[in-house]
Formats: sequence, structure tokens, C-alpha cells
Amino acid sequence: MTAAVLLQQVVLGLLIGGLYGLAAAGLSLVFGVLKVLNVAHGELIMLGGYGAFWLFALAGVDPFVALLAVVPASLLMGALLYHGLFAWVVRAHEETRIKNSLLIGFGLGLALHALAVQLFTADERAVTTAYAGAVLDLGGVSVPVVRLASLALALAITVGLHGLLARWRWGRAIRATAEDWEAAALAGIDVRRAYLLAFSIGTALAGAAGTLVSVGYSISPSIGLEWTLKALIVVVLAGLGSMLGTFVGGLVLGLAEAVSATAFGGPYREVVGLLIFFLVLVARPQGLFTR
Amino acid sequence: MSRAGVLAGIGAVAALAWLPVVVRRDDHLNFFVLVLLTVTLAQSWNIIAGYAGQVNLGHAAFFGLGALVTRSLWIGGAPVVAGMLAGAAVAVAFALAVGAAAFRLRGAYFAIGTLALGEILRITVGNVLPEISTLPTDVIAGYRLATRYWIALALAGLSVLAVAGLSASRLGLGMQAVREDEEAAEATGVGALRLKLVALVISTGLAGLAGGLFAFYHISYYPAHPFAPHWTFDAVLVTFIGGVGTLHGPILGAVFYVFLKEYLAVRWVDFHLLIFGALFVAIVLLLPGGLVEAGGRLRAAWRST
Amino acid sequence: MLEVEGLEASYGPFLALAGVTLSVRPGEIVALLGPNGAGKTTLIRCVSGLLRPRAGAIRWESAPLDGVPAHEIVERGIAVVPEGRRLFPTMTVEEHLDLGAFAPRARAGRERRREEVFAIFPVLRERRRQRVRSLSGGQQQMVAIGRALMAAPRLLVLDEPSLGLAPRVVEAILGVLGEINRAGVSILLVEQNVHAALALAHRACILESGRIAGEGPARALLDDPHVRRAYLGPLALRE
Repeated sequence: MTAAVLLQQVVLGLLIGGLYGLAAAGLSLVFGVLKVLNVAHGELIMLGGYGAFWLFALAGVDPFVALLAVVPASLLMGALLYHGLFAWVVRAHEETRIKNSLLIGFGLGLALHALAVQLFTADERAVTTAYAGAVLDLGGVSVPVVRLASLALALAITVGLHGLLARWRWGRAIRATAEDWEAAALAGIDVRRAYLLAFSIGTALAGAAGTLVSVGYSISPSIGLEWTLKALIVVVLAGLGSMLGTFVGGLVLGLAEAVSATAFGGPYREVVGLLIFFLVLVARPQGLFTR
Repeated sequence: MSRAGVLAGIGAVAALAWLPVVVRRDDHLNFFVLVLLTVTLAQSWNIIAGYAGQVNLGHAAFFGLGALVTRSLWIGGAPVVAGMLAGAAVAVAFALAVGAAAFRLRGAYFAIGTLALGEILRITVGNVLPEISTLPTDVIAGYRLATRYWIALALAGLSVLAVAGLSASRLGLGMQAVREDEEAAEATGVGALRLKLVALVISTGLAGLAGGLFAFYHISYYPAHPFAPHWTFDAVLVTFIGGVGTLHGPILGAVFYVFLKEYLAVRWVDFHLLIFGALFVAIVLLLPGGLVEAGGRLRAAWRST
Repeated sequence: MLEVEGLEASYGPFLALAGVTLSVRPGEIVALLGPNGAGKTTLIRCVSGLLRPRAGAIRWESAPLDGVPAHEIVERGIAVVPEGRRLFPTMTVEEHLDLGAFAPRARAGRERRREEVFAIFPVLRERRRQRVRSLSGGQQQMVAIGRALMAAPRLLVLDEPSLGLAPRVVEAILGVLGEINRAGVSILLVEQNVHAALALAHRACILESGRIAGEGPARALLDDPHVRRAYLGPLALRE
């Protein structure tokens, strides 16, 4: 294991880490605001990826351009899912709510996965554009251009999200609802509307993440669980409340995976994240909401 | 459990024991083995989740460990029952090793924490034992489906007995108290951790035995396969759809599930999961008692007409 | 303006309000007194829309408040300063005031109203970019009141604003409430500090075990022997 190999792995790990961060942002927003743990979040990412894939395969739309279609479509799907499903879940108190949402998310995830298998077959897909193979050589380290662009976009989206939550009237309302929903209601905020917005934005973020995954990496109906776990790991690592912090958490996970893959071998890449996840959870048994 | 219930149970098992004599076709008998295996796995999950209220999403880990140990010992020459018992023992040992830490987590955090643990095990086993496990030719030659069937029947009976026994016992009542409100239960002197661990031991022991059956039943499979989360998800779906926390729920659910799965699998792969996923959501939201509750309501409606 | 009639409310099996009737007339300051657990906060939660009563009626400006969600009640002109302030820890003073004017009716004129709030609480103007968790208790209470004022309420409801605050700060805040009332806002004030509350209010009601146990002009209640014995302590006996 040379320094060059390690450096290469680290760079690749950071490149995907940005996507982990974006994937986690949506989950974190929904969990923080609605106190709902949507474990079907990975399936929403998967569907976003397929959206981009089919736009490319059928209409030749460049995946980065496809974002302009996938994100609004995901926003709409999020609104529908909220009204159809999670609006019921938020009627319960926090602890029941989290447990119910876990179960509902579980069923939803299974259904979406099965639907995807029916519609798209179980084959792995990837968007391979004309420039897909382009690679930058930065001091001996190969950086795939597509993945670099994805990282940049993921960062841009995260910064945009942060700005949205800070400047936009409803963004602030969403934050207030996350911190104290009763106080938010007393200030005149329609909490149900805040929930709807947060959930829709969360789904839109998943769609965006999925699009970026489809172009630099690959998608199949089964990636849902894997990405839900990645998002969960990052949320537990980074805590709730800061979108930029979540992004950094994603980078940290990517980094940790890269280091462990180099040290223990590729197949154990996933294990380190899961182990950290479990250990951090056990170290904070009171959960993620206490300050 | 009522006397009538016990007699009915014994009758059912006795009747089912004659099945291999009556049913000649292997594919039909396979169906029954699958149902009985699902019943066992579902009831085992029912104990930790339905009665003790701890949603364990890493259940496949214990199924997998049972399969792994049983397979290794059996192929190595040990009698399969000994292998299965060893498999169950290893599953329980692992449960106790992680249980104390895992039970620091509550509710949904316990669920995702155990999910992570299950995945850790699956990935590790998949890396250490990537090659397919096949039986030696002489064992394949001597393969008798009926034996597998009877073991499956015995395990299903055992799991149903375990749940029946629990629901009537003080132990079971304590677990249910913990499920309803852990803090309140602790306040009244119920040792919540101890009860959860007992539930976990029984649950994982049964899951380990079920895994042993899996190893005995299948001619070849990848060692990481029984660790796959879909075994956990099957147990969760079956238990919830049938009626979580009830005795008959997992049985009803298993029959319904395996039947639909085998019937639909012919035309559409995994389509049963679309139906069951949607059904599961509907049940969690609208009919938490599952098919058992639906059946109860239908009966009450029938009686009132 | 605010009329509560025969209000009953429960938390699960526990009946917190067993038939409460009171009213707040335009321009009044009404103090709601009573021991801990009497149901004062429960009443506030019902008025603010956070808790649905089991029975009885709440009317505001002749329209029923039954089942009206909390944010809608703000729109209709009632703003609540909840017990314990309930601020948003990571947000600044300015963001709180901005959120206070979230209701559509309150959006117009919110810059002017913010200046008014800063005029009432000058220290908030100095610290307007500060996160509220770094403010003192008294300053946080000012933020909470300011936030409620930003909604341009016709009725301001406060639940224990003096809790945990030094007497000098309490005096200042209650003085401010007097100012606000003179500017035309009615006030319903729940208070443990009976002396200060009775000094400020026009009328007072006493809530005990979910029922109104006494009511009348504040001055009269100050002299009432039961009130003095139960709530005003040994100091009162000396007079």
C-alpha cells in the first residue's frame, strides 16, 4: 500500500462522500422537521436515478441537465407521498411517530423496490455520456471528471439549501418547526404546511442525489437499502440541524470508507461505516434530538 | 391457552405429520416446508418484536449464523440435529454479546442499529466465504425431502409452543409491559433489560434453528445468502400482516405470504413484495392487528347479523 | 372580546379543566392566578389552539375558536407568550421578530412594528444579530414578548412571564405590559407572582383544581383574606 494508492483512494472517497452528504441532507431535513424516519429515502434516490437514466436513454438528455426535470418531479412526488402517507404519520406524538414512520418507510421502500424491478428489471444501469471516460490527472491522482462535477453540484445544492433555509421565509419557518413546533404554531406558522414543504424538499434532494449517482456510478432497484444506510450513517455522525455539517459528514464517511478499504481490503469498505454508525448510536442512546 | 386450543394444536400437528405420506409431489411438499420455515422465522421475530416490542431489523443475522454453523458441522460429518443445536447456540451467544449494547437503544434507533449489525455480519461472511456451498454427492443422493419436512414441522410447532407459552406466562406479561411503556414497567420493578434479553434469547435461538433447517434443506447456496436482510423483511411482513403480537398472526401471515409469493413468482418476480409492501403500510396505518384483527371483526360482524 | 364558557379539558383520563368560565373585555388586563397544577397552562393551551377542549366554548370577537388551528388563531388577533418562553435556540433576535410576523395579517407594517418592539425593548436592538441562547433570562423573555407583539395582536396572552427572573427585571417587564395595554392591547396574564400581577391587572380570576374559585377587581382581591392567606404569604398578614 503506497502513499499514491492511498491518496487515490482518498480522492475517490471524497468524491462519493459528497453524494453521501447530499443523500443524507434530504433524510436529515425530513427527520429534523417532521420527526419522521423515512427509511424509503434510498428508494427515492433510486427513482431519481432512474428518472435521469431514462431521460438520457430515451431522449438523450444530459444527466446534469436532467436535474432540471428530475428535481421538480421529485418535489411533486414528495408532496404526493406526504399527502398520501406521511400526513397520517405526523398525527402521532414524537416517539410513536418515529416508530410508525420507520415501519411505513419500510413497507414503502419494499413496494417501490418491487415496482422498480417490474418496470426497469433488476439490471444495473449507468448513464454513460460521451464525456463519461474523461479523467483529470492531478499530480498522479486520476480524478474522473464526471464525479468531480457531481461533487461540485452536490456542494452547490447543499449551499443553496442552506441559503434557502436561512433567507426564505418558509425556510425559516421550517427551521422553527424543527426546533419547536408548538412555538412555531404560536408564531403563526402553519406547521402542516411546513411539514409538506420539508418533505417535498427532502424528496427533491433525494432525486438530485439519485441523478448524480446514476451518472458517475451505477443504479439498480436494489441500491435503495444501501443508500438509506449511507444517509443514516451520515445523519448519525453529523447530527441534525446543519446542512453544511451534513455535507461534511458525508465527506468524512467517504474518507473513512476509502481508508478502511485501503487498509483492510475493498470488500470491507461498507463495514466501517456501519460499525461507526452502530457505535455512535450506542454512545448516544438518547437519540438525535436532545441538545 | 385454552384446552380446546391445545387439542386443536396437537391435532393439527398430528395431521400435518401425515402429509408426506399423502402428498407425493416434491414441489407441493416444498411449498409446505417453505410455509413451516416461514412460520418458525416469523414466530421467532414475533417474540422479540410483537411481545417484547423491540423491532429487530437484524434478525437475519441469527438465521444466517444458525445456517452457517449447522452447514459447517453437518458437512463435516456431525449429525444434523447436533449441528442445528450448535447453530442455535451460536446465534444466542452472538445475541447476548451484542444485546447489552443494542438494548441501550430505544424504538427506531434499536431498529436501525440492529439493521446495521445484520449488514455488518452479512458483508463479513460474504467476504470470508465467497464461494458457493454445495453438498457432497453422496449426501445429495441420500436426500429425503420428508425428513426436512418433519424437522420443519417440529420447528414450527416449537415456535408456536414458545409463543403460546410466553403469552400465558408472567415472563410474557412482563415483556408486554415493557413493550407498552418501558419506563413505567421499570418503575414498577420489572427488570426491563433482563426481560428483553430473555426475549432475545428465545427469539434468536428459534431463528438459529430455522437457519439450521435452511442449511439442511438447501442443496447449494452462498453462505452469505441467509444473512440477507430480505429474510428479516419476510419475517416482519408476515408477522405484521398476520397480526403482530398474536399467536395465530404469523401462521396466517405465513400461509398467505408463501402462497401468494409462489403463485405470483411464476409470472412476476418480486411482485409479491409490491403487494405486501403496500399491504404492510395499509395494516400499520389502518389495521394494526393484521389479518387476525380483520378476522375477529368479520366474526363479530357475522355474529351480530 | 374573549369569552370562555364552561370549558373542560383533559390529558388522557386526567381532567385538568372542569368547567371554566371567564372573559377578557377590550382594553382590559385580566390576571389568572392559582396554585401549580390548577390548570392555568391548560387553559392557555386551549385558547391558543394547541389543545382541543373536551367540552365548553371559546369565543373570540364573537366567533367560535373551536377546532381552529393555532396559526389561524394568531391570524385572528391573539398572540401567546408561552410558559418557558419557547424560543428557537439557534435563531437570532431578529429572526424571532421576523417569524413573529409570519401570519399574513401581520406581514404588512412589520418593519414599523419591529421598530416599535425595539423602542419598547432597547436592549434587543443592540443584540438583534445575537443567537437567543446567549441572552439572559430577562432578555429572552423580552424576545418572547417581542415575537408575540410582531403579530399585531389585539389580545396578548402571557403564561408566567416572571418565571426565573430577578425582581427588578420582573418589574420592568410588567411595566412594559402596562405600556402595551395603554396602547390598546388587551392582556390575559397568568402569573405566580400574585402581588405584581394584581398591581398591574384590572381584574383577576383565581383558578383552583380546574375551576374558577374567585373573581373580581384586582384591588378587591388584594384585600380578600382567602387570597391573602393562600397566595400572598406572610408579608400580606402584616398589613
